[in-house]
Amino acid sequence: MGFRLILDGEEHEITIIRRRPHLVLDIDGEKHEITDLGSDGDGRHELGAAGQAVGFARATHGNLQIVRLNGRTHEVALVDPFSDAGDAGGALDVLRAPMPGTVISLHCKAGDAVRRGDPLVTIESMKLQTLLPAMRDGTIAEILRTEGETFDKDEVIVRLEAESEKA
Amino acid sequence: MTAPLFNKVLIANRGEIACRIMATLKAMGIASVAICHRAEAQARHVRMANEWSEVTGETPVAAHLDIAQIIAVARKHGADAIHPGYGFLSENAAFASAVADAGMTFIGPDAKTIALMGDKISARNFAEAHGVAVAPSVMPTGDVDDFVEKAAAIGFPLLIKAAAGGGGKGMSIVRDAQGLAQAARIASGEAERYFGDGRVYAETYVERPRHIEVQVLGDGEGGAIHLFERECSVQRRFQKIIEEAPAANLSPALRDEICASAVRLASAAKYRNAGTVEYILGADGRFFFLEMNTRLQVEHPVTEMITGVDLVRAQIEIAAGHGLPMTQDGVRIDGHAIECRICAEDPERDFMPETGVIRYLGVPEENWLRFENALTRGQKITADFDPMLAKLVAHGSSRDEAVDRSIAALRELALLGVKTNTDYLAAVLDHPAFRAGDLHTGFVAMHGDALLPASLSGQEKAQVLAAAALGFREFRDLVTGTPEPHAAIGGWRN
Repeated sequence: MGFRLILDGEEHEITIIRRRPHLVLDIDGEKHEITDLGSDGDGRHELGAAGQAVGFARATHGNLQIVRLNGRTHEVALVDPFSDAGDAGGALDVLRAPMPGTVISLHCKAGDAVRRGDPLVTIESMKLQTLLPAMRDGTIAEILRTEGETFDKDEVIVRLEAESEKA
Repeated sequence: MTAPLFNKVLIANRGEIACRIMATLKAMGIASVAICHRAEAQARHVRMANEWSEVTGETPVAAHLDIAQIIAVARKHGADAIHPGYGFLSENAAFASAVADAGMTFIGPDAKTIALMGDKISARNFAEAHGVAVAPSVMPTGDVDDFVEKAAAIGFPLLIKAAAGGGGKGMSIVRDAQGLAQAARIASGEAERYFGDGRVYAETYVERPRHIEVQVLGDGEGGAIHLFERECSVQRRFQKIIEEAPAANLSPALRDEICASAVRLASAAKYRNAGTVEYILGADGRFFFLEMNTRLQVEHPVTEMITGVDLVRAQIEIAAGHGLPMTQDGVRIDGHAIECRICAEDPERDFMPETGVIRYLGVPEENWLRFENALTRGQKITADFDPMLAKLVAHGSSRDEAVDRSIAALRELALLGVKTNTDYLAAVLDHPAFRAGDLHTGFVAMHGDALLPASLSGQEKAQVLAAAALGFREFRDLVTGTPEPHAAIGGWRN
């Protein structure tokens, strides 16, 4: 079993085939020779790959590596080997904050029937107001943030009744 | 050596612009005083100042808007002048008055001029009365139905704007009579929330408009010069993201006409200090007065780069009563300059603001490049302030060279830990329409999809994954063969 990484929502597997005389990696089933590992840690480094020097900048943030290479920035997450990494499901049941901010106004209340795209809540972040719409048809089960309250990124603001409860 | 023009100047601002102003103060031998909210006590502008004081407020922004407190701090430090920067209190007439009443010099225009130009309607009327072209429009009345009827009569499309507004708040384009009443109400509500003034007005909307603005300097007695124009047509959410000087493909005759119009306005207003007259320019060469900004502009460095004039120094000299630093004949254009605003935002999600922590900052260094910022590694980027983090300003002998240099510098810039629009800006500059100078304020919307990143090639993916993997302690230990305890953890051993 290899080392699992997530880039752009896709899982990739890296396995070490050989370490000497230089590193050979299997990345998604293809062999890659790494002649120069580059330095350790955050900052600007150079990787020797397939006989070519590739410059990049890298920073560590917990379980993430942020890599800027060839004029693009990428976040690469390490898959926790102890986690099933399974989605708990029901992503459409909750409205999550796309960024930290404040609730400006609520356009629904618990028990309301809503259709996909209906405005549920107006939020504000960095002086910018944004309307968050319903992610699917359903019934409002719970509103977790009222007007004036602040929230962090990815916090649940509104919960819809689970699909199964409807029928 | 002659005595400095002021002994000590308080900068009523923060971030990159506070640092920018301090650099000139230092060069002029003038001491600086910084203010900061407690959340920013370690910020670069605080460390760079000769003296500093904390200002308090319910929010960091509120602290920076507290006139009485800022005046008290300036007095405590014995400052003899205040520079407001841009944003915050820079266009607040009450602040300019309060500074003067406290016996200090406000490095900016007279309070009366700020009030005149700060209200879009009085500014517009003043411009019109002095022979500066304005777009046909309908002024607000208390009666929405009456407003809607009159607005419809001047024809669609119309632009609805807040009388006290700026920065795109309370602004929308209306294409038919059906949407007008609702748009007016929404704009009015937004204007009320942001500016405490719900008045809105409607004016002719110029299709494919270009945003052209003219930098002026006035001596306060009717003497005024221009430092040529800037083009700021590339915008998102009605806010500029790329500015350049001079404007691309502008005929010398039209340039002269627009610049002369701005000087006429500044002169008529007996404008004192640095200011900017903004216009919209249609494809037919007609241009209309938009507004006058009575302060230093975010994008002032592009003008500095092509004229060689330090605008902050000019502001200080004018404020000290030394008059204009040069005559019109002394202002020449040398080459081309482009500014890119680096913002904490996600272009792939409608430019939503992003937050984070700066984990690494790598800035290219070139003699043709200015990277205006107050960033430090480890700094938290919060929702407290505007999402603009820095400005990358490049100069070239031609527009093509300025574009190429800007793209190279953007690619080299590494600001890791918060999502930014850096790569998006490079994509805009590299777009054939931008290179051709085919600009208008709808550029971002029109070329939207073409500006988003292409998917990675297999080789690029492998490089990114290898570079990332080698950053993880767990993986590096496996590679280097270090018998660290990490290597025994988990299920990734072969």
